[in-house]
Amino acid sequence: MQNISGKGIRLSVVRSKTNLNRKKIFVILLLTLVALTLSACSGQPLTNTWPGLSADAERAYLATGSFIYAVDVTTGREVWKYPAEAGNSLLFYANPVLTEDGQLLIGSVGTTHAFISLDPATGKENWAEPFAGAKGTWVASPLVMNGIIYAPNTDGFLYFLDMNGKQVADPLELGGALWSAPATDGELLYIASLDHHLHIVDQAGSIIGEPIDLGGASPASPVAGEDGVYAGSFDSTIGFASSNGDFQTIAEASNWIWGSPVLDGNTLYFADLNGSIYSVDVSTGSQNWDELKPDGPIVASPLVAGDQIYFGSEDGVLIALDRDGKIVWEKTVGGNLYTQPVLSGVAILVAPYQAEFALAAYDASGKQAWTFIPVKE
Amino acid sequence: MWQTFIIQPMVNLLLWIYDILGHGPHMFGVAIILFTIVIRLITWPLNASQVKGAQGMQELQNDKEWQDIQKKYAKDKEKLAQEQMRIYKERGINPFASCLPTLIQFPIIIGLYQSIIRAMAATPLDMLNLTRTIYPFQNVENIIPLNSVFLWMNLGRPEGIPLPFEVSFLPNGFPLLAIVVALTTYIQTKLTMPTTPPNSNDQAAAQTAAMSSSMSIYMPLMLGWFALTFASGISVYFITSNLLGIVQYAATGRANWNNLLPGGNKKNAAKK
Repeated sequence: MQNISGKGIRLSVVRSKTNLNRKKIFVILLLTLVALTLSACSGQPLTNTWPGLSADAERAYLATGSFIYAVDVTTGREVWKYPAEAGNSLLFYANPVLTEDGQLLIGSVGTTHAFISLDPATGKENWAEPFAGAKGTWVASPLVMNGIIYAPNTDGFLYFLDMNGKQVADPLELGGALWSAPATDGELLYIASLDHHLHIVDQAGSIIGEPIDLGGASPASPVAGEDGVYAGSFDSTIGFASSNGDFQTIAEASNWIWGSPVLDGNTLYFADLNGSIYSVDVSTGSQNWDELKPDGPIVASPLVAGDQIYFGSEDGVLIALDRDGKIVWEKTVGGNLYTQPVLSGVAILVAPYQAEFALAAYDASGKQAWTFIPVKE
Repeated sequence: MWQTFIIQPMVNLLLWIYDILGHGPHMFGVAIILFTIVIRLITWPLNASQVKGAQGMQELQNDKEWQDIQKKYAKDKEKLAQEQMRIYKERGINPFASCLPTLIQFPIIIGLYQSIIRAMAATPLDMLNLTRTIYPFQNVENIIPLNSVFLWMNLGRPEGIPLPFEVSFLPNGFPLLAIVVALTTYIQTKLTMPTTPPNSNDQAAAQTAAMSSSMSIYMPLMLGWFALTFASGISVYFITSNLLGIVQYAATGRANWNNLLPGGNKKNAAKK
């Protein structure tokens, strides 16, 4: 009897331990699940944005995630890619910049915050080592003028590098995260910041006057006009900032203005997050057409090429307008068109975000010439 | 669903508090603290039921009738369970009440983490997504982007105090906040830990105590790891939430301060 009872107690203890272990496993699993969920939330946030794009007459340069691709604009085939293997240390989504001395400049948002120079022909690194002196990441493209690279960083500083990637002056603190390339009127640099201000800097790196209040964050580059620049902001307005620091609002939009405006003669084209497209005569301040809202929200800057103006919408539609605001054609590209279309020869290049392909070429009639799909690693 | 009912309200509440505070430097950190207090107030009844449930369970361990049925039905698990349920019903104790608030914390933690990352908008796409999250009646163009600086931290990034030398496993520096998160979590868990009567035959009580003991190790380690790895804004939430939890429990006068000491659980039980 005692034996049986003893067995019963042992059995009970075993059951109890089993229950306990199950509960422990449950707790561990639950916590692991939360950890995994949070990990999934964080992912790689810095890679998660739309690509950068630039082009010359022969190649398109696409910066997307871990790689920069050079793509032949006549065939749509990959010429080279950089780096050879994907990694978190180098991640790209700024627009690469081609320089007159034959460099392709781009900063990374990867862990090393590297700013690099590549040979556009081969994709090989030009500098002995990248510039890695910035605290923040490189969302903005640089401006190259008179042998100096002016590189705005998300740490709020403007960096001054020579054409070999060496710092030539102490970085200049402007404030706020700098997401867009400086614009220039040939003399001064105009740098829009997320701190709601437009900063004016001379080529020697001195701040000129007080920062101009734009009323909201400005994530895109201003566009140079005569003795000043045009800049839009989240304040849903676009205005002209002159070199002496005066600012005058010239047009109001129905929603936040994200992309840079484009100036073509006396006409300024821009769009807003409502999807409205505007054409303003900057000499009179008058709108050239009534409300035009062909498709979804517009983030990307437009492209003026030939007689047409091209807008890409968030809904993945490429729209070609004539100068009177008449829609010439619309093509569904797919994904989201957040990147400004780029002209290479006669090809209109578009880099959709989250589409079946990374890059596509269209002619002026809207016929697709090719698409480029990177080989998956 | 998740976006509409969790992320959007949380982001808008955070932005609204931040706006009210004047959206200056350090104010997003203060907004997270106030947000945590609001969440704590909303979940106050649940936390109160957790405290009540934990107290009730603790009192049961010293209850004569409870101890009697443990002995009486030690070999008949089914009957023991029935009797336990009867006592739970009679005393108005919900044995699961202490688990519910912990479970509710998880979606809040995940939601808050996503909301902080969304509100910080470190990339252009994040910023674009943020614009889609904001309720139409909120005028936020004046406050975006948020100032992510709070004390010495960037709330959108893992915290760490720079060290004069490099430590490979501490890429962000000395993880002060992660340590404080782990410590406050440990204190909170220990304070609410039920005592185990000495030489108790009550297996349920032993299981509960063992579970709590496991939790007091796993939870601080896990939350400490979260603090080490993820945006420091979430650490501010953890610390505020833990401190409020400690205050709330201490206010009931039932906090087992002895539990904080090694072997304190047993000493505490022996006193009873």
